[in-house]
Amino acid sequence: MGALDGLRVADFSWVGAGPRSTKDLADNGATVIKVESRKRLDLGRRSPPFARGESDNPDASAFFAQTNTSKKSVTINLSDPRGVEVAKRLVAWADVVVENFGPGYMERIGLGYDTLREIKPDIILASVSVAGRTGPMAGFRGYGNSAAAHSGHAAMSGWPASEPHMPPFAYGDVVAPMFLTVGILAALEHHARTGEGQHVDVSQIEPMVHTIADLFAEMPAEKPANADLVMAPHGVYPCTGDDAWIAIAVETEEAWHGLSATLGGGLAEDPRFTDRAARKANETALDAELSKLTASQDKDALAGALTTAGVAAAPVLDGREVLEHPGLLSAGHFLTVEHPVLGTSRMPAPPMRMAATPHHVGPSPCLGQHNEEVFVGLLGLTPDEVAGLAEKGVLA
Amino acid sequence: MSLLQGLKVVIVADRLTDFGGRMLAELGAEVVLAETPMADGARRAAWLHGMRRSDAPLESLLAEADIFLDGRRAGDRPALDDLAERFPELIHVVATGAPLGQVHRPATDLTLMALSGLMTIVGEPDRPPLRLPGEQAYALTGIQVATAALLGIAARRRTGRGQRIDVSAMQSAALSNYRGPIMYEWSGRIARRQGNLLVRGKSGVRQVWPCKDGYVTWSMIDNPGMMRALVGVMVDEGAAGDLADIDWDAILVADTDQAIIDRWQGIVGTFFARHTKEQLGAWSLRLGWGLSTIATLEEVRNSDHLAERGLFVDVTDGDVTRRLPGPLFRHGGGGPTPERRVPE
Repeated sequence: MGALDGLRVADFSWVGAGPRSTKDLADNGATVIKVESRKRLDLGRRSPPFARGESDNPDASAFFAQTNTSKKSVTINLSDPRGVEVAKRLVAWADVVVENFGPGYMERIGLGYDTLREIKPDIILASVSVAGRTGPMAGFRGYGNSAAAHSGHAAMSGWPASEPHMPPFAYGDVVAPMFLTVGILAALEHHARTGEGQHVDVSQIEPMVHTIADLFAEMPAEKPANADLVMAPHGVYPCTGDDAWIAIAVETEEAWHGLSATLGGGLAEDPRFTDRAARKANETALDAELSKLTASQDKDALAGALTTAGVAAAPVLDGREVLEHPGLLSAGHFLTVEHPVLGTSRMPAPPMRMAATPHHVGPSPCLGQHNEEVFVGLLGLTPDEVAGLAEKGVLA
Repeated sequence: MSLLQGLKVVIVADRLTDFGGRMLAELGAEVVLAETPMADGARRAAWLHGMRRSDAPLESLLAEADIFLDGRRAGDRPALDDLAERFPELIHVVATGAPLGQVHRPATDLTLMALSGLMTIVGEPDRPPLRLPGEQAYALTGIQVATAALLGIAARRRTGRGQRIDVSAMQSAALSNYRGPIMYEWSGRIARRQGNLLVRGKSGVRQVWPCKDGYVTWSMIDNPGMMRALVGVMVDEGAAGDLADIDWDAILVADTDQAIIDRWQGIVGTFFARHTKEQLGAWSLRLGWGLSTIATLEEVRNSDHLAERGLFVDVTDGDVTRRLPGPLFRHGGGGPTPERRVPE
């Protein structure tokens, strides 16, 4: 039994910011029906990497597969009013509707919140967009990286005295859907107590601001890079091998003693590093000394020795090392699923273990895989109606 | 009423649970701070405001609670397990560094980010890996803690029983790395730091550009409509040069030689450098360039847009007032907001 068994979700979202949230719901037992269309393919299905390089196969994207585990897929052409009518039947079935179109799109196709409430007065509509549904920037069209720019993340990323930094991934597409999941779950609890639905409006910018609330409390004049307000050492140091590094953070005096005993090199006796304040004041020199001492060591062995000595330390992992990390594997972080196109493949699981209601991660759906099951079995269309609407490009 | 009004939460705040407790407080739950080893003022304000401190025995607090957020960054606490088990309706969310059942190791935000695989792609190719700004591993874990608590509440609505939920900070951080592991699994490629270059196909394009009064982010990607919209303004401004004659539907930027890309980017760079963030941002908003202005912390805090959405609030921290993010998102729940005060 999953935590959300019985919950019904009509999922109109695509690419990353919406689907990562509905994955959370689906992996925990909700029935999530993903509304897609061959006429306007989810860009996630066009995102690499692809099984066997089949970039033209809408079911071959591993990116899509890991973002849409455990869901069902139907194809409805929402640019056709007859398709919208079918979508309304799905809304009537659902407890929650999720979408991440540009502001105004749902209203333009006749599926705005007011219409959804006419169909189902207690519906929960969960929306996520770059800047939210209200405010001067409400119509802003951008990407996950836009939220980094507007939230302060880009300005505070990178090395001191350098230009802002934009890492090559959309962190806004990670954090915003997590907020959306919390919003949906909170709205469900509110519904359980009051019978009321509502519209949850998540902006990608705002969650990004929240995750650097500490910087807004401190208002540093310069990018902190790897440095900490109070801890020293607190950085990344070279090890043997190509692009091999170890992260070390000393939080307590006990940890400092553990570090200096493990690395040696006269750290314990050095008058520049006698206490926390001295180490912070001489941080540049301390980092240089540590770099000399770590440069000849293996990052994994050194991390093991340091953590055993009570020091927070970890190797800096790359994508391969994360995929193959023994601790993550034994925790079931990547679960093996059978997918009709990708074959046996590994998909990320929720980062938690629920004792009484465990999650279950199933494969992502192929495009329109559940058309008959949903249109006939759930929404009550006849097979002839489905075939006719499919032929006319409505259920496509 | 606010979304979670009436829910009672007890928290042992050790950085892994803090943001989870703050989220639940922001949504209307009563969050009681039972323990926190954290002393630093700014971080305490950022992550704990809206909670209420209590010195009452933990047992009496848990007897009244729906949710117990139990931070275990410092290691196992078997006595708390025994205590929590006495309350069968309690949602007991335990947050640890390593996944459930694995040997405890000291961990901080920095070391957790190192294990996420993200640091290896953040920064410059010729310098050490960088973390993201702030304390993202703690934040990611905190959001998962809030999610776990609410999943437990949803399950309890059906079963009438609480449960223990173990959240791993290492997994929470690793889950955010949605490209690295999958790219290796399916292509054998290992991503490395590229600075501000976005590499697609056989060429790389810039992501960050200086303008008259700061920086903007924009990339020359394969989006013909976006390119036409930008070049249209450049033509009007007499700044389009060679770009005016390009049929953007007929070329693929990702397959264009780097030297040509660099020449085109030079023209765009000159245009951007002549205009302010405000002007470029207004064009982008109106015409759909996909350009964003890069805001400083001060500019974010003073944003008209965020002010209209009510994001920042004044928080009393002893004798100091801090301007911090408040509401998590907009919703129709209404109800009272949490007390904008940092607990003692």
